[in-house]
Amino acid sequence: MRILIVEDDLEAGSAMQRGLADQGIEAEHAPDGLAGLDLARKGGFDVMVVDRMMPRMDGVTLVETLRREGDETPVLFLSALGEVDDRVTGLRAGADDYLVKPYAFPELIARVEALARRRETGSVNTVLRVGDLEMDLIGRRVHRAGQELDLQPREFQLLEFLMRHAGQSVTRTMLLEKVWELHFDPQTNVIDVHISRLRSKIDKGFDRPMLQTVRGAGYRLEA
Amino acid sequence: MRLPALLRTKPFRLTLLFLALFAAAAAAFLLYIYVATAGEVVRRSQREIDRELASLQTVYRLGGVDALNQEIIGRAVVGGFEYLLRSPDGRRITGTLAASPAEAGDAGWVNFKIELTSPEGGLVRRDGRGREVRLSTGHRLFVGADVGESRSYVVKLVRASWGAGVVVLVLGLFGGVLVSRNVSRQLGGLNRTIAAVQAGDLQARVPVRGVRDEYDEVAEGLNAMLERLERLMGGLRHAGDAIAHDLRSPLNRLRSKLELALLDVEAGRADAGAALAQTLDDVDGLLKTFNAVLAITRLQAAGEAPDQALFDPGELARDMAELYAFVCEDKGLAFDSEITPGLTVRGNREFMAQALSNLLDNAVKYTPEGGAVMLRLRRRASGEIELSVTDTGPGIPEADRARVVQRFVRLENSRSQPGAGLGLSLVQAVAEAHGGRLELDEGPGVLDGRGPGLRTALVFPRA
Repeated sequence: MRILIVEDDLEAGSAMQRGLADQGIEAEHAPDGLAGLDLARKGGFDVMVVDRMMPRMDGVTLVETLRREGDETPVLFLSALGEVDDRVTGLRAGADDYLVKPYAFPELIARVEALARRRETGSVNTVLRVGDLEMDLIGRRVHRAGQELDLQPREFQLLEFLMRHAGQSVTRTMLLEKVWELHFDPQTNVIDVHISRLRSKIDKGFDRPMLQTVRGAGYRLEA
Repeated sequence: MRLPALLRTKPFRLTLLFLALFAAAAAAFLLYIYVATAGEVVRRSQREIDRELASLQTVYRLGGVDALNQEIIGRAVVGGFEYLLRSPDGRRITGTLAASPAEAGDAGWVNFKIELTSPEGGLVRRDGRGREVRLSTGHRLFVGADVGESRSYVVKLVRASWGAGVVVLVLGLFGGVLVSRNVSRQLGGLNRTIAAVQAGDLQARVPVRGVRDEYDEVAEGLNAMLERLERLMGGLRHAGDAIAHDLRSPLNRLRSKLELALLDVEAGRADAGAALAQTLDDVDGLLKTFNAVLAITRLQAAGEAPDQALFDPGELARDMAELYAFVCEDKGLAFDSEITPGLTVRGNREFMAQALSNLLDNAVKYTPEGGAVMLRLRRRASGEIELSVTDTGPGIPEADRARVVQRFVRLENSRSQPGAGLGLSLVQAVAEAHGGRLELDEGPGVLDGRGPGLRTALVFPRA
């Protein structure tokens, strides 16, 4: 996987580069918007991580320009501002996801991986399969090893998200944003409670637990 | 040369312009009157003279020169016209005039002077107008009339009009000065206020006279604008102070913790990795606090939440109920919700969700096991929308309720729980940013050693 980081804070940029390298992800770093645009135009990146405010060309303009030129590489927007309108502006410009600074490293990696993965699975499936877990998206039914599981609508959505990102870490914030559409962190561990209920439904009575907790990051569904 | 200030004012100049236009219009009007009246007077005399000529010519046709002569003598006694009958060689035969004012052979209209003897014996010359015709025998007949009477009427009319024009000009000028002085007084107040604001006094206000005219409208509009500006400026200043103040103590705490950790690690009493992990947690907590303070102060400074839209709060309440039902169950609390469907509220959905989430977080956090949490959405009789969370926890003593919504205020029995003391401050800021309020009340009361509980309500105005 190759990542382009466009970030004017050099220290933050190289920290990001190192952190991604630790995960075996190759990353190039551009120090401002125009340099980022030049590198992006050369192509070959799986995901771009773009800072919002930069000299020479801001992130919104950069993404808008690339999208106009037909470049559909997934973009993760970074911003120190966490306001609603900023997020909306970023996504409207053509970004695919949005992360507010400061972020925890596992959060960044989880989101980058999710974006890269989304690109791979281009085909539209009506049935999702992870190991012996099978989800019928049209019939809204879930089976594990042939045995039907009784899920509430929200549990179904939660499991669908986990299955689409099977093998990757997903963070609590990602789940709150993508499944519940909430853009803040409640103080209470609401997500943990929902995950543990889901876990009891899909793993109880089976030898091998699929829904795993990743320390310091979140959760991962393993085949 | 500079004109006096009053005469340089816009209204006065407008008055002058208006007067000039008026004078031009009046002059045109008078000219028209003059042409129409004077012309008409002359035409009427000419018609009368023509009629007289025609009737004399009839006498001439029927009775010849002698009859005409007799007739002229008779009519001259009656008066009203001037006559002169001349023989073909131009000699005077009869009439009231000594000589003919008409040129030989000229049949057109001529003006002449009539000499009259006044009752005092003096000579009076008056304007006359007349025409001469040649009769078939070669005799010439002149008939004229005194037109001076009508002319002087026209002259008087014109003179009166000029007089009226002068009176209007004088009155107009006087009115212009009055209006300018009035406007200058009004604008003076406005200008003084603007100058004061420019000099930095945001509290200056334009005086309003309370007569509800355009000036008052401008003054009130400007005052409202200044009011809002002052509030925003105050809000920003307050936000800066608040953030600086609010973050100093947690930063100091973090610093001393780091110092102690460093001492412990150096002395081999603690593991460096664990100390770093702890520090990371602390910094995360500080960032959360920072974000909360920022959100609160921004809401307070802006005065209203951004991106407001109409939506059904029932949906929001159901989402939050679903999110927290399991959390309550997990903690051994009974959870229930009563959600009135089909309501509409105006606001920022995300801020409202966060506010409601904070209230539910508190309820879950402070209600001991075996208690209950209730989420309720309803419309009050006043039309206001109320989102309330009731628990059976220890509640908040009435004396502390006003204090507990202030930033960083944590009551004695809450210190054992995590939190920075910003939750209710944010809820209150969100409520106020929607024109609503946060109400704190006693819950269901003391029962079986529980309670009295807390009832928190977000009250939003009707959409």
